[in-house]
Amino acid sequence: MASALKKTTGLTGLKVCRNPHQILNILHTKILRCLQKMPQDAAYRKYTEQIVLERDAAVKAEASVPELEKRVGGGQAEELIQQAEHELMLARKMLEWKPWEPLVTDPPKNQWKWPIH
Amino acid sequence: MSSSRLVNLRTARQVKPMLSLDRAEARTRVINLYKAWYRQIPQIAIDYDLPKTQSECKKKLKEMFMKNKDVKDIRIIDALVIKGQMELKETVQVWKQKHGIMAFWAPTVEPKPKDFMGKFLDGHN
Amino acid sequence: MAACARRLAVSMTKYTSNHGIFRSMVPRAAGVGAFRTSSTTSQTDLHPTIRPVNAVERTTVSEYGQYVAECLPKYVQQVQVSAGNELEILIAPEGVIPVLTFLRDHINAQYTCITDLCGMDVPTREYRFEVIYNLLSVRYNTRIRVKTYTDELTPLDSACEVFQGANWYEREVWDMFGVYFSNHPDLRRILTDYGFEGHPFRKDFPLTGYVECRYDDEEKRVVMEPVELAQEFRKFDLSAPWEQFPQFRKALEKAEVDEETQPK
Repeated sequence: MASALKKTTGLTGLKVCRNPHQILNILHTKILRCLQKMPQDAAYRKYTEQIVLERDAAVKAEASVPELEKRVGGGQAEELIQQAEHELMLARKMLEWKPWEPLVTDPPKNQWKWPIH
Repeated sequence: MSSSRLVNLRTARQVKPMLSLDRAEARTRVINLYKAWYRQIPQIAIDYDLPKTQSECKKKLKEMFMKNKDVKDIRIIDALVIKGQMELKETVQVWKQKHGIMAFWAPTVEPKPKDFMGKFLDGHN
Repeated sequence: MAACARRLAVSMTKYTSNHGIFRSMVPRAAGVGAFRTSSTTSQTDLHPTIRPVNAVERTTVSEYGQYVAECLPKYVQQVQVSAGNELEILIAPEGVIPVLTFLRDHINAQYTCITDLCGMDVPTREYRFEVIYNLLSVRYNTRIRVKTYTDELTPLDSACEVFQGANWYEREVWDMFGVYFSNHPDLRRILTDYGFEGHPFRKDFPLTGYVECRYDDEEKRVVMEPVELAQEFRKFDLSAPWEQFPQFRKALEKAEVDEETQPK
């Protein structure tokens, strides 16, 4: 029995999580709720929703952790949690930045021309 | 026509402020920097064992600030203040050496000749 | 010198076009003319020293660039893929923090490692400095380059709050180019000596610098003085005899031929 339990993730500073499904579920709902506040046609919202819904479906479908990891293909469950946390922080910041708006400044003429002559 | 338009364009260009938003704020920063240097002079003189009196140091400090008295652009003033602050930190922490401080007086630098004959003999024009 | 080489190239191509047989006889190492002839005669055989074109990688990389540009239309000005299939995102200076945070935190990016941050000086441009961020995604084993621009007096947002590793790199850019980073935790010199004047990587920085140190026997200490040279610096023409940008020669040649023909 004890051998079936995961002892380490093999990654420094990343502790083994006992209930990844539950945590991932919470994080995914939080991300989706945050994304709801963005405009419908924002590309960031569209793509992120797609990724998160995919992962959410995987979490709901796969009961065992190794199967979940295999299906998502984004590393160990602990890493998936970390990724979801980062995405949540990013989505919240994105609400402030509003990156779906039109270009903020046009580059000056010949700014990106290379070679210069 | 074109020159006046150019001037207009240049003044109309929106620029990102470096630190200060207006002249008064930039001026406050300059005065604060001056005061900070002024207060540190006794300690600097001890730390570096300077062969100068405090009044000489204060005179030099004023001279260094007055060198840039004609700078009007707020962003350039800010840039100079930032560099002055960095230099103050280097000096107070004794990261510099004595010759770095003494370079302000430049006792070994001979003044360049101004008259024609002197310049000619010196090999410069 | 450069103009002379260009003129030589013009005459060379003219010569080869007039005498068709001569083309194959031009040796490969003949310098200026060789490039043109080898490219016209054999386009199919791959030279072993030339990097093979990886079309699949190129399309995936450019598609990913499109993805980033679509997600952040507010900040991305241009996306380009270099000859070696390196993805470059050219952004507005306002977007440093949002773009870098997106690239670090987004699930499809995860560029968690900043491998390099450097500056570049092109004095003829309106914003003369470019600041370049190189990122690495360990998860997807890809690299990305983010470029932005600034000038001497425009502060750029410090990337330290996104990448801790940017701290010293930004100090380096400040020291070498004089680009000011706002909100940097500890911006001060890192490579140059205390009391050093100027920013050495600027194109207008003189080769000798502004101050020099020496031991002075009268003062019995080291003194710092403005650099004084007994003789003016001699000017050397340092243009290399080989070509740096052969693929851009066509346009130049054409312009030159036009110039030559027009007055007649």
